[in-house]
Amino acid sequence: MTERQAFSSDTGSDKELDRALTDVLRSSPLDSQALERIRVAVEKEWRTSTTLHRRSRAIRRWGWASLAAAVLVIAVTTAWFTKFAGEPVVFGSISRSDGNGVDVHHVGDLLRAGDTVRAHGPMLVLLAAGGSVRIAADSTVDITSATEIRLERGKIYVDLPPVPAASARLNVWTHAGMVEHVGTGFEVLSDDTSVRIRVREGRIRLRAVPGAAGNSNVILAAAGTELLAVSGDGIVRRQVPTYGSDWLWVANLAPTYEIEGQPLLNFLQWVSRELGRRLEFSDPEARDIAARTILHGSIRDHDPLDALANVLATTSLRYEILGDAIRVNSDR
Amino acid sequence: MYESDRALVVRMGAGDQRAFDEFFHSSAPRLAAFAARRSGLDAASVEDIVQNTLVKAVRNLGSYRGEAALFTWLTEICRHELADVYRKAARRPDHTSLDELSSASPQAQLRVPAQHEPTAQVETEMRRSAVVRALQALPERYSLALEAKYRDGFSVDEIAHSLGLTSTAAQSLLARAREAFRERWRKGNDDEIMADDGHD
Repeated sequence: MTERQAFSSDTGSDKELDRALTDVLRSSPLDSQALERIRVAVEKEWRTSTTLHRRSRAIRRWGWASLAAAVLVIAVTTAWFTKFAGEPVVFGSISRSDGNGVDVHHVGDLLRAGDTVRAHGPMLVLLAAGGSVRIAADSTVDITSATEIRLERGKIYVDLPPVPAASARLNVWTHAGMVEHVGTGFEVLSDDTSVRIRVREGRIRLRAVPGAAGNSNVILAAAGTELLAVSGDGIVRRQVPTYGSDWLWVANLAPTYEIEGQPLLNFLQWVSRELGRRLEFSDPEARDIAARTILHGSIRDHDPLDALANVLATTSLRYEILGDAIRVNSDR
Repeated sequence: MYESDRALVVRMGAGDQRAFDEFFHSSAPRLAAFAARRSGLDAASVEDIVQNTLVKAVRNLGSYRGEAALFTWLTEICRHELADVYRKAARRPDHTSLDELSSASPQAQLRVPAQHEPTAQVETEMRRSAVVRALQALPERYSLALEAKYRDGFSVDEIAHSLGLTSTAAQSLLARAREAFRERWRKGNDDEIMADDGHD
């Protein structure tokens, strides 16, 4: 009997069938890390839902004596449920807004699919699944789903964790096509005639609308690349620095970094990322000090460069900006 | 009525952490298997689908009345999620370019060419593919019964409970499912051998 015949006839035996089904069905398509990411997201949603339900039940227990007050609270709660139940998963929340009260959305507001954000001033949105979207003044963004937005006009910067959860993916639609991140920080600018994408970290994939990118409809761009799509002129690629004045608006909208209890080294890495400059140590001692120093206090209301100056002033380390690098020296 | 499933949901609604853990651990891996074997999607997409399914489920726990098994209810939500993914995929441009190919998964890029793989590995993969294909070709109820038995290690009574059947009916369903699977599996292997012989 040849090997192949044996393989074929094996499929008939009960024992082989049991083994084949067990082998295949017991192997999980998701690893434990993926399941843990799912658990965290689902548990968060469950806690939010059950808290709201419990509040509602407690209100009903107040009894006749508090009926008038209860009716009012139930009405408010019902309005809340009517507004949010059945709507898609929360996209994110507004953490900062400098629209001088003109914007429809304000700090603390939750954003969901179907919402349109018209930012008159700079706005920071923290994503429910991790990461942030920074929106420049005079921009309009449609949130089409938990993982997709459309930049109608203006400028945004998308910053996602280096290893994002599946739910933390974010695709940005523009009139030149769809920008998909491949673990990255990138800026997208859109106006009536052009779309400009600048990749600061990681990579992006642009799925261009037919005709916009010549024969290729999918374009990959790595950190330090700019793609400029001008209506009717195709897409031009060029190199751009990941630091400097063009990126200051992004640094100025950085989410607050809590330094309390953090090693100085973590803080320096955060500053380096926010400024788009490499972190260098002049000597091993400087790195060692950074790793051993634990910070206390707050840098709230400081942009990353101010925070760097203020924090290092309290240590024995100094820094200098050298082109694309922040160089940290021990003060000897 | 599925009293135990309903009770679990009520406990979850009351904020019972153990109930949530039980719900998650009994449903997430099964849902992942359900989604993967019905779609052939990659792990990241399966992760999205399972997460969206469970998030929607916990937000709408109040609508679960115990009229079907909890897992059956979840698979309904999951089917909608899968359909949604296919709808979106259909709207995307289907062109690929060299750029796109270069972004294929590292695993794909690093994979040893088939002709250089040890024969045993190739054969194991062939066997595995044949099993998956045969499972995908089965009617839904058959594959659910086989998954409950071989993946979850359910007894006949538990399978009966999860599918809303009597024990006798579950026993018959399982026997029919095994036969249907055997037939498709054998046919798949024979087809593969014939195709292979054609190439020799």
